[in-house]
Amino acid sequence: MLSYIIRRLLILPLILLGVTFLIFCLFSLLSPMERLATYVNNPSVLKNPQAAQRLIDKYHLDDPFPAGYIHWLKSLLKLDLGWSATANQPVWEAIMQRLPATMELVLYSIIPVILVGIWLGVISAVHHNDLLDQTIRVTAIIGWSLPTFIFGLLILFIFYGILGWLPPGRLSTWAQYIVYTSESFKHFTHFITIDALLNGRLDIFWDALKHLIAPIITLSYISWAYLLRITRSSMLETLRKDYIRTARAKGVDEKTVIYQHARKNALIPVVTVAGMMIIGMLGGVVITETVFTYPGLGFWAASSAQQLDYGSVIGFALLFAFIMVIGNLIVDISYALIDPRVRLE
Amino acid sequence: MENKNRDKVLEVKNLKTYFFTEDGIVKAVDGVDFEVYQGETLGLVGESGCGKSVTAFSILKLLDYPGKTVEGQILFKEDDLLKKSEEQMRKIRGKEIAMIFQEPMTSLNPVFTIGFQIAESLKVHYKMSNLEARKKVIELLEKVGIPIPEQRVDEYPHQLSGGMRQRAMIAMALACDPVLLIADEPTTSLDVTIQAQILELMKTLLKQFNSSLIMITHDLGVIAEIADRIAVMYAGKIVEYTDTRSIFFSPLHPYTFGLLTSIPRLDMEMEKLESIPGVVPDPLHFPEGCKFHPRCGFATERCRKEEPSLLEIENGHIVRCWQVDRVREEAKKIAFTRRLAVVE
Repeated sequence: MLSYIIRRLLILPLILLGVTFLIFCLFSLLSPMERLATYVNNPSVLKNPQAAQRLIDKYHLDDPFPAGYIHWLKSLLKLDLGWSATANQPVWEAIMQRLPATMELVLYSIIPVILVGIWLGVISAVHHNDLLDQTIRVTAIIGWSLPTFIFGLLILFIFYGILGWLPPGRLSTWAQYIVYTSESFKHFTHFITIDALLNGRLDIFWDALKHLIAPIITLSYISWAYLLRITRSSMLETLRKDYIRTARAKGVDEKTVIYQHARKNALIPVVTVAGMMIIGMLGGVVITETVFTYPGLGFWAASSAQQLDYGSVIGFALLFAFIMVIGNLIVDISYALIDPRVRLE
Repeated sequence: MENKNRDKVLEVKNLKTYFFTEDGIVKAVDGVDFEVYQGETLGLVGESGCGKSVTAFSILKLLDYPGKTVEGQILFKEDDLLKKSEEQMRKIRGKEIAMIFQEPMTSLNPVFTIGFQIAESLKVHYKMSNLEARKKVIELLEKVGIPIPEQRVDEYPHQLSGGMRQRAMIAMALACDPVLLIADEPTTSLDVTIQAQILELMKTLLKQFNSSLIMITHDLGVIAEIADRIAVMYAGKIVEYTDTRSIFFSPLHPYTFGLLTSIPRLDMEMEKLESIPGVVPDPLHFPEGCKFHPRCGFATERCRKEEPSLLEIENGHIVRCWQVDRVREEAKKIAFTRRLAVVE
């Protein structure tokens, strides 16, 4: 087991190198001048040929491909990803500033999706074809068939437009004022809900939560529905397996049969799907954040893409590629934890 | 018969298990009677689909939906299992009646160690601690002939060979010292050499544990090896029921006769391999009269119209056939050596 994890960890840098290489290939399709634009914070520099040339030399933008790649990698390691015109700050800072908001949204979506999705999937399978199963399935099919952007707009329309309960954005103005300007509000985790609780500000916690509910529902409904369906069919299949009958023939009670013998096997395909799903959620983040003007990475990436802000787009692409690679690693490791047959010698 | 003096462990009376499918009622087991005595092995023989496995699952009440036992009695130590609640059945399964399944690869859970799976029934029925159970499991693995049991106990089913897996299955079934073992084609998926080893092992262990066994198989070679008495099943009913010797030396039912003549032999000159013509009838549309008549070389008008009932023809030899006398004559004509070699 340990050797499996170590082996997977050793391959990791190689995969990441491959990722950077691909992104640099795309990057080098741009002319040196265009690439320079991703590094300068003052566009007027580009109008002065000598100053521009100096910067091109400084960033090695004119070098042959391999040399250029190595210099680019070096600057990546120094976290110098260029300048984001959209955010009006260096790309790395822009990412770090927006990451907590997105993480808060994604984590709050993923945890209930995995727990509730698997739980309902198992229940649905155990109560195969009952009313309960039918209800769960219909709800899941609706979620599965609604595109995120339509579902998001519907939620926004009903809960903000008509009812006015769940506003867009991340915080109300008064709360923003306290959170970002007040000296007394300490940022421990940069998750506003958690920080508000740690600061003992229930009113801010409630305000942040109200802003989070609609995006969480939008982001998670489709994944929840998908995970449920996979768990249900996998569970149904597992319950028909011979070893389930063996367990019953040993006198094991039904609860242990379902939640121990069957579920552990049924989860093997679910883990793969859940991993892919979480990675797919990153795409959903862009849409969801845009619909709800939620100031996270997705919202920023969407606006930079519209404004041809290459520096930001590349920064965003690199970040998501890294998250994806790490996500896959986690999936592989949990796969090996569940299924002993994967732990190859 | 000598059995009359021994304790009856199990008595199945007029067992009827039907499957209520959308296309109609499948009478998988339709009025089966047999008994198993202390320490004896009963062979349940028949083609696939004849209801022998369903009989086994009916005894343990482990039928899959939409199967249901609609009639009959299953007296285990004089208690009717069909009247027991699920809770009471659970205390019997694995402890009093244990089962060995056909395919050890799919019948063992791939994500748990074999040690865990064997220990489970010990923990369920005897409330053993992990440590006690582990000690007992290692002992059991040793008994079923698994080398280096201290190491094997922590291995997963995929790390064991087919024969080893079946040994682990047997250890699992014997863990709680069951009174009755039901083995559903335990050797079918194994190599012939391994088959012999497993049968030998089962014989030794049965003596050691003094358990009774119901051996379900379609393999007459296996049954000759291990069974004391044999019940031959066809289309959900018992067609012949007697001791092993009589089945092999003087079969009285045309189906048994056909099964025996279709065993290929290398030590005899045979012009062609005999077989029973036709296929097992569709359980939704059983033929009228005797269910075997469309495939039977002895069939007459009466067989087509009237279903025979089980009759004791000779002492302890029960047959369901109108043409017993003709079958007996025919069986005598066939060289004796032929069946003799199977038994010995």
